[in-house]
This record gives sequence, structure tokens and C-alpha cells, in this order.
Amino acid sequence: MSDSTTLGVHAAAAVVALLLLAACPVTAFADKPDATLGVVYAEGRRTEDVPLYRLERGSEELYISSFDIARIFKATKYWSPESRKLVLRIDSRRYLFTIDTRVVVVDEEPMLLRVPIRYADGSVMVPLEFVTEVLTPRSREAIELDEERLVLTIGSPDYNITGIRFVEDDEGTRAEMDLAGELLYHVDSDTPGILRIKIYGGRLNPLKMTVPEGRGLFNRVRAEQTEFDAYLFFDVKRTAARFKVEFESAGDVLERERKLVIYLEKGEPPEIPDVDYAGKRMLEILDDETIRKEKTPIRVIAIDPGHGGIDNGKVGVTGVLEKNVNLEVALMLRDRLVGDLGLEVVLTRDTDELIPFDRRVEIANSAVADIFISIHCNGWYSPSAGGVETLFLAPARTENEARLAREENASIRFENPDLDPAEVDDLDFILWDMVQNEFINESSGLAEIVQKELADVLDIRNRGVKQGGLRVLKGLRMPAVLVELAFLSNPREEELLTREDFQERVVRGIVEAMRRYQEAHTVYTR
Amino acid sequence: MTQLGRKILIVVIAFAAILLVITYIVPRLGDRGREGPPPGVQRVSEETRSVSLFYVNEKADGFRTQMRVVPADGDIEDQVKVVSAEFVKGPENDDLVTTFPDGALLLQVFWVEETQTVHLDFNRALVTNHQGGSTAEYYTISTVLKTVGANFPQIRLVQFLIDGYPVETIAGHYAVDEPLDILRWR
Repeated sequence: MSDSTTLGVHAAAAVVALLLLAACPVTAFADKPDATLGVVYAEGRRTEDVPLYRLERGSEELYISSFDIARIFKATKYWSPESRKLVLRIDSRRYLFTIDTRVVVVDEEPMLLRVPIRYADGSVMVPLEFVTEVLTPRSREAIELDEERLVLTIGSPDYNITGIRFVEDDEGTRAEMDLAGELLYHVDSDTPGILRIKIYGGRLNPLKMTVPEGRGLFNRVRAEQTEFDAYLFFDVKRTAARFKVEFESAGDVLERERKLVIYLEKGEPPEIPDVDYAGKRMLEILDDETIRKEKTPIRVIAIDPGHGGIDNGKVGVTGVLEKNVNLEVALMLRDRLVGDLGLEVVLTRDTDELIPFDRRVEIANSAVADIFISIHCNGWYSPSAGGVETLFLAPARTENEARLAREENASIRFENPDLDPAEVDDLDFILWDMVQNEFINESSGLAEIVQKELADVLDIRNRGVKQGGLRVLKGLRMPAVLVELAFLSNPREEELLTREDFQERVVRGIVEAMRRYQEAHTVYTR
Repeated sequence: MTQLGRKILIVVIAFAAILLVITYIVPRLGDRGREGPPPGVQRVSEETRSVSLFYVNEKADGFRTQMRVVPADGDIEDQVKVVSAEFVKGPENDDLVTTFPDGALLLQVFWVEETQTVHLDFNRALVTNHQGGSTAEYYTISTVLKTVGANFPQIRLVQFLIDGYPVETIAGHYAVDEPLDILRWR
């Protein structure tokens, strides 16, 4: 053969080779998924995206890889390549799949799927139908698949913000949110036209609570879920003039179901005015002539330096003791509040001793303090965490507390012997509820203000306001907060905490917060 | 057929044969190990389950889970002990931290089905070795709650005990004298 002919032969062979390669089913479904499944893990509030593929010609059925199934449902997997069988063990049930068949054997029971199990690109592919028809009814955990939006939710999400709707009338528009459980909110508006509602301890499904097209005076709503709280951002029309936020009872009172309603009133433009206040039970901020404002002055402040005595609290990187920093700051704060503002200050301790929690509460309650502030320093396992945070009480209504409530309010029966016992029980519930709520409502407002002032004046990270089941705040009869000034485990912050100028700034921040709280703290009467 | 034609045909057949091998046979060989454990460990009736353990990221921003495979035999109390033993070992990543103090161990487990409460009896080290700080304490408690909750959906409440007795707090901040609701506690 001549050289040119050889070349021609080779070229032809190369072309044929390429054509055959192109027809190769090895490159079957390769990389691009046909759809994506959003998986939401309700307990850890993680989400991930899982690829889905269409593998059956002529069928719209979506397939998911058994790798992903095993990970999502915490399954153990066994694969026998000789017999082409896959076993998944989920919740102590055994699911046996045979490649290229539609049969899945659940323990001993065979079930038929609409499409066969496939094997592609090193992975056993299972139709999504397996999750909905076979797995969900048998799973101990709640599994919900939204087939339209392709969202799979695993675990009992225990959402306490469950629905949102809009109602229009001639005067304006209402946005109603369904709540279950005792929840507090905080409203502010940093951006004109956007109302931000923070619901402490709120749990919602952001996909379900986000409304891209609102009604009436609401343009849209965006919902966000963070580790601790839920946020709803209401985008409102410029023609909304005034607003009010309040709770309305709804549904089961014992289950504490109620609605949180934002009412927007129509009017002449301007933007929603800046607000910064915390939820009260029935608080109207519409400028109404029938409302008279009365300010109750703050006279007594209780300051609680955390830990003490044998309880050092957090020990810093270079050995700084939290209990000492707490006391130093507390004494400085007392001097400033007494000297400059003429207030009365009660300290739960003014020396290095350990005071039991109940005693601290008793000191503040008997002094009839108007505000309680507990001073602490924070700690973590890595030096990188830092910042200031403020906490207020998240009450846990346990059997014991319900009993305590009844015992505490037994005095009502004593004073009113004619009351029907059944009525009194209801009264107990309502009164205790109101008393607890009143202070916790105000505590959230206090916490937001204190946190903002401290974050502004200290040059460290703003960790925000959190609600927590804090022992020292239980049983207090006034608005109360616990401040974690900074992290002793963070070398930079440990150093700052020992410096007088930093402590000065802390004191300045808290004093300013007292002033602002005083201003915002009003009692509305009609 | 011409000499040239024959050569072309041979080359084409050779290529086709090579491609057949590449397409159908080689993948089968390679995939033998890809689906699961190596051929030696093919017991299909083993009693094991996967569990999720909760740890925290370095910045104390949020929870991260790690999966482990553990034996699945025993009743719920045994299972809780098994999961706890795994949890105490700590995370396998360097960028995660465990908020469970050194030397702290679960001594006993008591499960009360009527109240859906599990009583976890820890040794004193949980309190004495705790480094302190409310963020650390918050995550110590909540990683335990979430680990129990994720792996045992039938458990609703967790009661912490130290050497058999309830305590007011573990490190001076969060009240643990009452049972904590896994889903609602914060």
C-alpha cells in the first residue's frame, strides 16, 4: 500500500471510531440532571440539592441515586454485583431491589413500582416513586414530598408559623400569619418600604411562607429561617401610610394558636416611619387621638454580676476569670447609674461570693426593681468565635410550672371566696399567662435596645438577641436581660475585657440603652 | 474486495471490537467496587444502622451533622448508650468542635415511655470539666438534644442528671432541672 492510501485508511477508521463512540451508551446520562430535588432536614435545618434524572424512555418518572437515598434516610446499603441486587436497611426495614426489574421487596412483601430500577454510571438509580409510595408510609420520621416544587422535607419540622394570607378591605390590607405556641416578635424598619418582623424561636418553611406576589398594600413577602429565629420581610407599597401589628386569638386557645396580624392602612404616600419596638400584646402604634401615653419612670435597676466565689465562670486564655470581669463592670455600671442618672441600684453581689439563683431573683424582686441586667462573659472552644450578645427568657411551660402557677395564684381564691372554682382555674391560667407574658414581652424590647447600643459602642461582632431558658431570669417580676459582653476564649476580646476603656464603653452602652428604653417604654391607655 | 478494501474492513472491525470492549465490558469490571463495601463484606442480614451525630462549626454559628454506622441491636436504652458512645468520640473533621467536655460520659439511660422522656445520667465531669460560657453551654445541651432527637423520634423530652441527681445548670446559665423538650428548647 502507498503512504497516501494508508493515511486514507487510518482517517476513515478514525471517523468510524468517532461515530461509534458517539453512539456509546456509556455516556448515557452523564452529568446534567433533568431536575433537582431540594431536601430539607427539619431538625438540623440543613438543606441540600440532589440531582434527579429521567432514565426511562417514554416516561416522565424521575430517578434518584441510591447513594443519595442512603445518605438522606440514614440507610445502610449492600450491593451484590453478581446477582445485581441492592439492599437498603432503613429504620430496621429491609428493601431489596433487583436491577432492571420493577419489584422492590419490603421485608418479605414484594411491591411493584411503575418503572424499573436502573443501573447507570456506577450507581443504582431508584425511581422517586419509591420514596413516596414505599418509604413514606413506613418511615418513623415524617417525610413529605412536594411533587410540584420538588421539595422533600425530612423529619418533624414542628413549624410554629404555619400559614400566611392577605385580606383586603376598603381601608387597607391585613397580612395574617398563623402561629402555634407562645411566640414573641420584634418589628423594625431599617429600609423605607420594608417591614422586618423577627419572631423569636419561630420555625417556618421558607419556601411556603415566601409570597412573591402579595395583595393590596403588600407587594411581596420574603421568609427566612435562621438557627434560632424566623424573619419575615414585608415589602409594602408606598401608598401604605400607617401600620399596626397585633395578636389575634384563633383556633385552639389551649394549644395557644393565634394569628399575628399586620394591618396596613391606606393613605397619602410617605414611607413607613422608622420603628424600633418589641411586640406587646395589644399595642397600637397608629397615631390615634384616643390613646394617651403615660411613661412610667425607671427608678430601680438590679444588676447581677454572674458567677462568683468557687464558680469562676469562664476562664480566659491567659487566666482571666469571668467572675471578676463581671463584678468590675457591674460596680462601674452602678457608679454611673447612681452618680450620673440618680437611679437606685441593687446588686445581687458586690463581693466575690457565690449567690444561689433563687437568692439573686429574690433580691431583685424584693427591691421591686424596674429592670434586671445580668452581666456575663462568654466562652467557646475555638478562639475564632467572638462578639456581644443579649439574651432574654424563653419560658418552658412544664408540668411543674403549670402547678406553680396554680399555687401562686391560689391567693386569688383566698381573696374571692365566692368565685366558682372552675372559673378560678381559668382565671389562674389567664392571669399567670398575662403576668409572665407582660415581662417577657418587655424583656425582648429591652434586649433589642441593649444589644443595639452595645453593638454600636463596642468594636466587636454583633451576635444579636436570643431567647433562652436561662436559670437566673426565671421568676423575675420585671423586664430582664442577660448580657454576654465578649468571649474570654478569644484572645483579642479577653484583652479588651480587662481594659478600663472597654469596660467604660460597655457601661456607656448600657446607660444609653436605659435612656432609650425609658423613652420607648410607654403604657398606652385608651 | 480489493487489497485496500480488505485492510479498511479489518481496521474498522478492529476498532469496533475495541469499542465494544470499552463500552460494555470494562465498565462492568470497574464498577464492582463502586456500589458498596468490598466483595468480602457482603452480609446482607447484618444489624446495623446509620446515626446522625450533631457537632458545631468552629465559629459557633450552627450545627453540623456527621453520620456513623453503629450496631442496631438492643432496646432503646442500649441504643441510646451506643449512640452516646459514638457522640462522645467527637467529630472526625478538624473544622468541627465537640461541645461535650473531656471526660464526660453517659453512665446510665432510663427511658420512660409514658412521658416520652429519656433520663440521661452523666458523670460529674460534665459539670466540673465544662469550660464555661453560655454559648458553649447552649451547644453542649443542644447537641445532646438534637443527637437524641434525630436518632430516636419517639423521644420527646430529655432529663439531664449528674450522678443520678438533677442539677440547676451545667455551667451556670441554662436551666436543666426540668426535662427539656427536644423540639422546643432554646
